[in-house]
Amino acid sequence: MTLISDLLEQLLHGLTLGAMYAMVAAGLALMLGVARLINFAHGEFFMLGAYAFWLGYSELGLPYPIAALLAPAVMVIFGIVYQHTVIRAILPRSWHVQLIATLATSIVLTNLAIIVLGTQPKEVPTTLSARILEVGGFRIAWQRLLVLVAALVIFWGLDRFVARTRTGRAMRAMSQNREACAVVGVDVQRVTLVTFALSAGLAAVAATLVSPLFNIFPDMGTVLTLKAFAAVVAGGFGYVNGAIAASFLIGITEALAGSYISYAYKDAIAFVIMIAVLLWRPQGLFGRRIGI
Amino acid sequence: MRRAAIGALAAVVVSAPWLVAALVPRQQRYVLHVLIFTALFAALALSYDLVVGHVGSLSLAHPAFFGVGAYTAALLATRAGWPFLGALIGAALAAGVVAALVGVPLFRLTEHAFAVGTLGLALVASVVANNWVEVTRGPLCITEIPKPVLGVPGGPALAITTLPGHYWLALGALAAVVLLYRGLTTFRLGRAFHAVRDNEPLAGAAGIDPLKYRLLAFTIAATVAGGVGALYVHYLSVMCPEEMTVALTVNLLVIVFLGGVGSLRGVLVGAVLFTALPEVLRLAPTWRLVIYGTLLLLVVVRSPEGLESLLRRAAR
Repeated sequence: MTLISDLLEQLLHGLTLGAMYAMVAAGLALMLGVARLINFAHGEFFMLGAYAFWLGYSELGLPYPIAALLAPAVMVIFGIVYQHTVIRAILPRSWHVQLIATLATSIVLTNLAIIVLGTQPKEVPTTLSARILEVGGFRIAWQRLLVLVAALVIFWGLDRFVARTRTGRAMRAMSQNREACAVVGVDVQRVTLVTFALSAGLAAVAATLVSPLFNIFPDMGTVLTLKAFAAVVAGGFGYVNGAIAASFLIGITEALAGSYISYAYKDAIAFVIMIAVLLWRPQGLFGRRIGI
Repeated sequence: MRRAAIGALAAVVVSAPWLVAALVPRQQRYVLHVLIFTALFAALALSYDLVVGHVGSLSLAHPAFFGVGAYTAALLATRAGWPFLGALIGAALAAGVVAALVGVPLFRLTEHAFAVGTLGLALVASVVANNWVEVTRGPLCITEIPKPVLGVPGGPALAITTLPGHYWLALGALAAVVLLYRGLTTFRLGRAFHAVRDNEPLAGAAGIDPLKYRLLAFTIAATVAGGVGALYVHYLSVMCPEEMTVALTVNLLVIVFLGGVGSLRGVLVGAVLFTALPEVLRLAPTWRLVIYGTLLLLVVVRSPEGLESLLRRAAR
């Protein structure tokens, strides 16, 4: 009995991690698909979103729903500023320049966060993270349920947005042929801007959902970017739903390996999966696709 | 004129310990320490530039190979009691072998994906260094690594104990790396490297296998990085996991990209500026990274050729 409930608990933990990685990886895949750009500072969007949430909830004492909406709003603005200052300057340049510029942004943001906020991890427990739902000896924090339900709603909404709306369709078209889009009159700049704002917002939503469960610290972004990128590679370059599925695979494997094999090496799991996928199916787990 | 200038510079560099003793007798030890670091970083940056600047693969795994070399040398010297030269060669070979093994799956990735894959490798290496406590002692560090002794077993031996001795050893290593760098990047091999970097499909069509040359440059660079790692730990006599973090990658990127990608002179100038300057200014590591990141961002966006283009303009 304890064995099974233990396993279930780890699975649930893995799903929570997967949801977090998936929200970050989906943004990364969108940027890669639409703008052909790898944003190394993407994990820092999550980190800044988490601190914005901490500021609103713990420091200013705002109620959870308001703080949880405020942080993504702040990060959407941040994403727009980032697009205007850094991304616009590097988009026409070679991928070397893009990569180093976003990596440099990530380093600057991480170290500024250390200077301003200190290295001491912050905890943001909420009423939902302390309340436990018990079903037949199986215990689950309400916050985890919230993460999973919210993640499902968000991924469904994202899928509908990309499939149905005018902007979403423009995003898909741009991921297939940017020049042709510009020729037929798609506002390429605006769609890129929407993509960045959306990606930054998604990372911040993930941060507000999982921050009550995990600690917040300044250099958590780097590892997160790398894991999300491992998911993007495993899911098939720039294919958003593939990246989401691969994120859940990574999250669950990490939780199980962390609990049954070795906790210390759990951060290496994502890369083992990525390398295995590359050796076995270089086109990604779900086959070759064109576009997002 | 040019030759005379280089000769004079070489004379100054070689006689630096005496110059330092004469000019700043009170801070002699500190200045020499900075000079040793500069020489070692220059050698490491040159090896990094072989991959980034000459075959055009943006690897971020260099700290991993430096770390493999450093830990191999530290373990061979402390646990197995190997002499310095044996530990140095063992460290270089270990790093080279690791690079050749991981290079095969990593080079299946192209462009940005390769960069992320190598960054992942660097991260895994640092996780291992922190957690494989039985071997690396984790955050407790490997300590009491003996000072280098040059010589073959049974023959005459030269123990390096003084700071000037360490300086000349590091300088000798740097000279060897400079010769290797020149040798690899000129001649036929260098032209093959540049062909792969500048136009991969064309190079392939001309019978130059891009994968083979990339893997070769990657492995040689890792071997050199491993050797530098061995020198580094024998100088400091301690090796900790913090020596192989992403901060080292940032340092190397700054040296290579701000100095001048693919240029011997640019990388050397970058190494001198960005190793000596922060030491002299006594910057805290976090501030240093903030400033480095901002500089890197400005340079790659505004003038991607780095200081080298300024130097070239000045020479005209």
